[in-house]
Amino acid sequence: MNRAVLQKCIVEARLLFAACAIGLFAFCWVRIYIISRVDLETFSQIVEKLWDKWADYWPVSLSQLLSYSGRIAVTFDEPIVVLCVSVFAIARGSDVVSGELNRGTMELLLAQPVSRWQVLLSQALVTVAGIVLLSLTAWLGTLAGIMTNTVQEEVPRPELRIPGIGLSIPLSLKKPEKIRVPMGSKVEPQNFIPGAVNLGALGICLAGISSLASAFDRYRWRTIGLVVGFYVVETILKIAGVAISEAAWLKKLSLFSAYEPQKFIATAVHDAANTWSLVLRDSQGTMLDVGPLGYNLILLGIGLGCYAAAAVVFQKRDLPAPL
Amino acid sequence: MIVVTRKLTKAYGAVMALDSCSLGVQTGEVFGLLGPNGAGKTTLIRLLLGFLRPTAGDASVAGLDCRRQSVQVRKQVSYLPAEAALFPHMRATDVLRFFCEVRPGGRFQRYLDCAQRLELAELNRRVSYMSTGMKQKLALAAALAADVPLYILDEPTSNLDPNVRATVLAMVADLKRAGRTVMFSSHVLPEVEEACDRVVILRAGQLVHTQVVAELRSQHRILAELQGPMPPVPAGVRDGTQVVCQGSRVTIETAGELSPLLGWLATLPLADIRIEPVGLRAVYDRFHVGQASGLPLTDQPHEPAVSHEIAEAAP
Repeated sequence: MNRAVLQKCIVEARLLFAACAIGLFAFCWVRIYIISRVDLETFSQIVEKLWDKWADYWPVSLSQLLSYSGRIAVTFDEPIVVLCVSVFAIARGSDVVSGELNRGTMELLLAQPVSRWQVLLSQALVTVAGIVLLSLTAWLGTLAGIMTNTVQEEVPRPELRIPGIGLSIPLSLKKPEKIRVPMGSKVEPQNFIPGAVNLGALGICLAGISSLASAFDRYRWRTIGLVVGFYVVETILKIAGVAISEAAWLKKLSLFSAYEPQKFIATAVHDAANTWSLVLRDSQGTMLDVGPLGYNLILLGIGLGCYAAAAVVFQKRDLPAPL
Repeated sequence: MIVVTRKLTKAYGAVMALDSCSLGVQTGEVFGLLGPNGAGKTTLIRLLLGFLRPTAGDASVAGLDCRRQSVQVRKQVSYLPAEAALFPHMRATDVLRFFCEVRPGGRFQRYLDCAQRLELAELNRRVSYMSTGMKQKLALAAALAADVPLYILDEPTSNLDPNVRATVLAMVADLKRAGRTVMFSSHVLPEVEEACDRVVILRAGQLVHTQVVAELRSQHRILAELQGPMPPVPAGVRDGTQVVCQGSRVTIETAGELSPLLGWLATLPLADIRIEPVGLRAVYDRFHVGQASGLPLTDQPHEPAVSHEIAEAAP
């Protein structure tokens, strides 16, 4: 590994990283602030009315969605959160080869005693490290939101319970008192780690795909166009697979089917033993579904496979003269 | 030989960017690459650096195979591309530091000294805010400050003012004195003539001529107006003499001493006689004049050029 090349990659990535990290942290915190301000009861009333139509599109049960952990988990499916990581992954991934070629800087870079493999590896390390840190930032934003916000709840009125007949007699006629309690008393921050990990795995997958497209190309704008086109098609495939029951198989063609942070957070909350399972099995041992770890490994496998393919393509191709 | 190519060929489909190019560059010489755009100079350089895979043939630098040992080759080479694109987000000093650190054993002070010699001011300025000339100076400083056996400079003086051009040529001369080898590609023929020991001329991907520059200094060209029919060249001075008639203009070139020709010249029906050293321009023109305009080029470039008019005039 050449330190100067690695340092150059870090310098090139740092501004975008800083912007995405600030955006992610702030959004995650603000979202929890909003959750803390919207009364759970009011939220439940809205969601329950729509649930018949929404149920198919939602990866978790209504009860999970109406819980604080469920509401916070939605953060990881928010377009801004996915976009911050996707933008970083696609921007850095597309820069690997076609970005340097497009700027004409590949010529001088590879005139130095560094191998193409070193150039690609340096870029990949910085990109993957950036994505891991962005995922961590998203979780830290969530953690900060949980630690600094409070939620309103009613204090149960004092009652006199009559044993034997199950009757409770209120001892006060005043309206129930509402107090604010820390959000931290309602949710466990570590339950959101699977969501952050899933976000990181998606980012690494996109970075790998972008790098592969970049290794073939010489124009960065075209690489970005291709990857964004692929991104849109994959999103449509997932939505179509969910919306059209006859076309449920389309979901299997979308890498976004492996991005289910809400589901994995729900697993962490309700089935802690399976938080990091490769596969989910029933009590008889029959496989029900791929587990959270399995989905993350699928995304990571695609990403790292694409990086490996990019290395082979880059190693073998002729470098076109600068534009 | 520090650089050797054997039948080095690069084809893009039916287009031959470089066609069976065999050449050798001696250690310690300044070696010029000449040819118009698209002649194959940059392709040759890019093949040496391992940027391109040869279609056929092979090349080596310091005994290392340019394809299979590309990184080791680039440890021996410092390369300045034509219109070098530097990292736009970096400041000049960061660029120099990068090129110093990317090579094992680089000394930063050497890079700063080079930049100073090239009159590169404002090392704190970002590359994206630099003028074309400043960028070229910065790229030159980065390339020339590297301590390597071989320097490959592709149009090193483009975009530079005359003073800095002279400095660059002086730096090339310093490298030669230090026993380093320089491959020098340029379209500025007087510069090539001044800097190089030997030049090769490329045309449409083929190496068509090799010229030792020192030999040019003993060659002369006589330009004159013909006042009557041109007689044949006498046997005594025929060797190394070329005569080209174009209308009423005649050009006589001599490969060696001028004095044996003087007696014959006095007998010719010439007026408005001008005698000048042959120079690289004339050699270059033998292979490339008329290429752009569609005029015929010399068919046998390694033989002395003789025009059709002379062939008809000869008995």
